[in-house]
Amino acid sequence: MGIVYLAALLTGTVCMLMLDHRFRLFFWRDARAAAIVTGVGILSLLGWDLAGIGLGIFLRGEGAIATGVMLGPQLPLEEPVFLLFLVLCTMVLYTGARRILGRSSRLPHESARRPEDRRLEGRPPDDQRLEKKNV
Amino acid sequence: MTYLWLSLVFVALAAVVGVACVRKGASSSEARQHWKAAGLAFGALAVLTATFDSVMIGMELFHYDASHILGLKIGLAPVEDFAYPLAGVLVLPGLWVWLTRGRKPVQRRYLKGLIPQALLASRPISWINTAYPFAAAMFLTTREVDWVLVVGTLYFLIPYNLAMYGINDVFDYASDLQNPRKGGIEGALLQPRLHRPMLWLAAITNVPFLVVLALAGSPAAWLSIAVSAFAVVAYSVAGLRFKERPVLDSLTSSTHFVSPAVVALTLAGAEMTPGLLILLAAFFLWGMAAHAFGAVQDIEPDRQANIASIATVFGARRTVRLAVVLWLVAGLAMLATPWPGPLAAAIAVPYIANCAPWWNVTDTTAGRTNTAWRRFIWLNYGSGFLVTLILILQWNLTS
Repeated sequence: MGIVYLAALLTGTVCMLMLDHRFRLFFWRDARAAAIVTGVGILSLLGWDLAGIGLGIFLRGEGAIATGVMLGPQLPLEEPVFLLFLVLCTMVLYTGARRILGRSSRLPHESARRPEDRRLEGRPPDDQRLEKKNV
Repeated sequence: MTYLWLSLVFVALAAVVGVACVRKGASSSEARQHWKAAGLAFGALAVLTATFDSVMIGMELFHYDASHILGLKIGLAPVEDFAYPLAGVLVLPGLWVWLTRGRKPVQRRYLKGLIPQALLASRPISWINTAYPFAAAMFLTTREVDWVLVVGTLYFLIPYNLAMYGINDVFDYASDLQNPRKGGIEGALLQPRLHRPMLWLAAITNVPFLVVLALAGSPAAWLSIAVSAFAVVAYSVAGLRFKERPVLDSLTSSTHFVSPAVVALTLAGAEMTPGLLILLAAFFLWGMAAHAFGAVQDIEPDRQANIASIATVFGARRTVRLAVVLWLVAGLAMLATPWPGPLAAAIAVPYIANCAPWWNVTDTTAGRTNTAWRRFIWLNYGSGFLVTLILILQWNLTS
């Protein structure tokens, strides 16, 4: 049972990376920038956690689904993994939202899409591929 | 409440960095789309947080000290937990936009160079002159390093000098243009496009500190803080321009250096003994002398720019002599303070020796006193060293 939470977090993380890969959103769009954003995100959120722990706000639970491995006082192994997942989830949601917003605003003149947009996405728009499948 | 405050600090930080990144990295139309997307992402994250945070808390993965949280909950999740995704969407997408900005036409950077210019303008070499009087006065009174000491010292180290010299350089631009002395160690010409941002920067960096320090003190502290801040602004701001009102200029300038110590003493609730008052008076005379002597070298550029100062009105010779006399009186005054104060009388000697060779200076040779002025800047470090030794002695005698 002790591995459930960690496994769930890792599964979620992998799912986010798959979405990222599929839609060329984050790491698959600009790996360097994505690495910096992820690093900054995890470190600052970890700082926030440590501040909360220092102030006595956050207390680790004795949940049966946690490994119980501690990185520091009140700081379980799962926490940085959770923060990684949170950052990835945030960025996939954000970049995904921008993709959708960008598309709907360009719909009236879809043909005016600049070629670089295709290159960035790395593949033809999804609707075209779906159509091919249906045929 | 602790968790709420902690969260607000991080959210505020995230917002500042996020907004700055977007302003630098995106055009206005892109920025609109950016914030829309960030809003959508936050909506989704809020739903996820309400759901999964409740699940995680329900599974007893972690809990909160009840005395530190508001107690307001969505599901099982305390509202403060929503600050995490909020801070995330405020800063991370902004950082991303800024890092990947090369793919878009780059916006003109209006604020480029503001921070380096502001630091140069704030005379880092003189930062210690205002931070030290505060820290020393506070530490000797309370005899401990508390947060007021740390915050106040930081304030008088950088933001205070940034305001003092930043405001000064903005309103001095015209006369500085004619003065070759203002490009290096003693300050910097400030480009006109940075004038307004500089004033904003001074306000933003000063007001929070002043409010926090005022909250920590009594009405006496409020008064000294108000006088200190007023002197900083009044010295150079258009309309008041105390620096162009002879004698008032020296009085205001000296206030710049003595007021940090007075603020510290009032914040610490020090008892105003005669010895302490004499010490502050001597310090004040020292500050007036320093200003008056510093003004001598600028007599010619000031007159060309039609600017009045204690030195343009009294003339070079009388101003130098006045400075020597003020330093002498400051030194003699220290002899009247309780032991080990009289030792500080010796500190006046190098200042008098540095200034005395210009006893017979004329208005035409006034510019040459710059040599002594440059030495003066380093003399202050030596004086600081001696003052520190005397203060350590005082500390040991009273403990």
